[in-house]
Amino acid sequence: MTDFRATAPLPGPPRKYQFPHVTRRTLPNGLRVLVAENHTAPLVSMRTLVRSGADRDPAELAGVAGLTADLLDEGAGSRDAIRLAEDIGLLGGSLGTGADWDAAYASIDVLSRNARPTAEILADVSFRATLPEDAFDRVRNERLTDILQQRDEPSAIAGKRFASLLYGTGVYGNSVIGTNETVSRITLDDVRRYYAQHYLPNNSSLIVAGDVDPDDVANLAEKAFAAWTRGPEPPAPKIAPQPFDSSRVYIIDRPQAVQSEIRIGHVGVPRSCEDYFPLSVMNALLGGVFNSRINLNLREKHGYTYGARSAFSFRRMAGPFVVAAPVRNEVTRESVTEILAELRRIRTGDVEDRELDDTKNYLMGVFPATVQSSSDIAGRLLDMELYGLPEDYFDRYRENIGAVSKDHIARVAEKYIDPDRALIVVVGHAAQIREPLGSLGLPIHELDIEGAPIA
Amino acid sequence: MLSIEHYRLGNGLRVVLNEDHSAPLVAVNVWYHVGSKNERRGRTGFAHLFEHMLFSGSEHVGNNEHFRYVQSIGGVLNGTTFFDRTNYYEMLPSNYLALALWLESDRMGFFLPALTQEKLDIQREVVKEERRQRYDNVPYGTAFERLLNLGYDADYSYHWPTIGSMEDLGAASLDDIREFFGTWYRPDNAVLTVVGDFSPSEAKELIEKYFADIAPGGTFPKFSLERRPLDGERREQFADRVQLPRIYRLYHLPRMGDRDWIHADLLSTVLASDKASRLDRALVHEQQIAQDVAAYVLPTESTGMLLLHATAKEGVDTEKLEKAIDDEIARLVAGGITEDELTRAKNRAEVDFAHQIENHDTRADTIGMLATYFGDPTMIHRWLDPYQAASAADLTDVAARYLVASNRATSVFVPTEAA
Repeated sequence: MTDFRATAPLPGPPRKYQFPHVTRRTLPNGLRVLVAENHTAPLVSMRTLVRSGADRDPAELAGVAGLTADLLDEGAGSRDAIRLAEDIGLLGGSLGTGADWDAAYASIDVLSRNARPTAEILADVSFRATLPEDAFDRVRNERLTDILQQRDEPSAIAGKRFASLLYGTGVYGNSVIGTNETVSRITLDDVRRYYAQHYLPNNSSLIVAGDVDPDDVANLAEKAFAAWTRGPEPPAPKIAPQPFDSSRVYIIDRPQAVQSEIRIGHVGVPRSCEDYFPLSVMNALLGGVFNSRINLNLREKHGYTYGARSAFSFRRMAGPFVVAAPVRNEVTRESVTEILAELRRIRTGDVEDRELDDTKNYLMGVFPATVQSSSDIAGRLLDMELYGLPEDYFDRYRENIGAVSKDHIARVAEKYIDPDRALIVVVGHAAQIREPLGSLGLPIHELDIEGAPIA
Repeated sequence: MLSIEHYRLGNGLRVVLNEDHSAPLVAVNVWYHVGSKNERRGRTGFAHLFEHMLFSGSEHVGNNEHFRYVQSIGGVLNGTTFFDRTNYYEMLPSNYLALALWLESDRMGFFLPALTQEKLDIQREVVKEERRQRYDNVPYGTAFERLLNLGYDADYSYHWPTIGSMEDLGAASLDDIREFFGTWYRPDNAVLTVVGDFSPSEAKELIEKYFADIAPGGTFPKFSLERRPLDGERREQFADRVQLPRIYRLYHLPRMGDRDWIHADLLSTVLASDKASRLDRALVHEQQIAQDVAAYVLPTESTGMLLLHATAKEGVDTEKLEKAIDDEIARLVAGGITEDELTRAKNRAEVDFAHQIENHDTRADTIGMLATYFGDPTMIHRWLDPYQAASAADLTDVAARYLVASNRATSVFVPTEAA
């Protein structure tokens, strides 16, 4: 054995990373335009971001934001759905549309030599969508079918029940797609009203990243998007989470299950939380990455799962904090116990120097690897616009992560992690897991996959 | 044009360097030319279980330390297993190139001393959970396994998927691990690709230092795969806990890279990709008898396959859906495809490939694949040429020859109560 193998080699001097320069301007109609140059591939990513998402759905029409976004590529300007797909295909592009809780998106990734005609199509989709009647019936039926199919998917069932128990029937309590009941109720008029109220230039941003010249993009954006007319800013939504005074367990019975889908958590914090950086480090250490405590415990120490994770859903308002783990039926109770123990331990301030350093170094070092492609860069600009992050956010990111100390970890864990008031949802084979879970000493309720109590 | 330099070490390890200073990153990627096709009966799933074991430490790297070393400096890493190959990769800040080479060389040359029964037992459980999570506990999760079972004879090792069976995973022993490692994990059965921000002369020195003294193996065991063509359609109906029926089809093709395979790749785009593609338009948009439809070829070395699946809408009978699919294929064969359809399919191939080589990590993987399957990493410059040269007639010709009943396996998933 030669000596050089005995220990890890030391690194060379670090080489500097710089996030691409971003050019910003605002058109007279209020549309903000952001452009980042990236010439590594002959591609460009163009996105319209509309700062209204499923959080604007009226409770009885849950799913309307998503359905509206789904209809954007069913006809726009002078093109019907087929013609749109054909023309984008001829430009070497692909069009995607969709909505999440915070926003709606239309995006086209395309060969950069075709940026100009692509911008014109994206403009049509953004404010000249035709929302045709025949497409509406078909697409709504497709969404209802998606909802039907989710009845078989344990992770979808777990997500839905967890959200509904935490947030009730209002914002964040449904899923973005809505329910069979609410989507059946949505009419084409509802969709057209949603489009008119929210798809406004002063509620939107145009993001372009890739192999382009910023001045060219500014000119073509001005031409293509100038006709989009302003409207009144839509009112801000509200959430009404259900507070718990103690932890409780909900078993969602799925008799065919060979694994239990576990969700443990509670209401978290909004993206604007002042403790965002210490929380990000604390969560990464707790369960946010492969080498985190929860994954090493459940997967590498016990072999209970293929993977366990924790996450704060940093949305415009306080999204959930949740630990998620699919585990085999026989170790369901043990897994819940281990997760709760990790949540308690992180609150005690028991953090080693090495694991804190490893976690911070990971978060600081990994950033360049996550923004290689034009599409990645566009995604980062989108976050910036959506959450109002400062212009130097990515330049100061390392510094902000680097400043997090052990004391910060203990403080934010104590403040934002609450294992004694946790919602525990387990989608699994009730007959096999009911009794073991009983030994946790927590109240247990049983529901069917739609959330109705089982007597 | 990418700068590609490739050479071989004295022990047979093939090395490919692609210098690119566009970001302070370096991607290190090792392809071993071994996969589930090299498994023996009674040990299905073994190549993939083995991949998990290679993350559990080696002589100079502790258990879980491989992940820690890479993640704690901001690197990302993983490994994957497929029929014909297993890959291991990390992407790190470029000043850590030596670390990645140290880690990869330690597990290539010094893996066995760190092996323990306890590590095997834990990873066996983890892989069983992976199987439950991705195959057994989700709707249609076993469809690919069923298609392979049906579409390839039991003596052809595409007959089973890389995840393997629970029973075989349970049977894997430490002796199996030692034997598999000795047979396949050796420098003369691997390609090391390095992409990114490095100096080639330094990289070559480091590679020499860490890899050159790892001994090559003896002769490779005799291994040949002889695929018999199907002698007629093979069909099954399978009752599963699903809400809607779904039709799965596997059509045999020549191996990846063959002209017919490339034409079939383009054809799959014409058939099912965007809303204007043939099957999407007919089944989803116009007739509204399908919830979704997909068609694609898999990047497989020993033989090729085109997979096609379509989900029936509620109340739609699968015979009607199958007939509609076959009618569209027949229409395409009889009427041909348009120049616009061909252009769109070529554009998509060009953009997909541009995306694939846009990032350092996926580019390294593409290079490793080309070197392993075709013996020539510089094919990255020419990969799209046969795509650009394809004619509309080439695509209809492939449809006429391969998309026929006698060349396919069909598995129809139906809801339990309907069986």
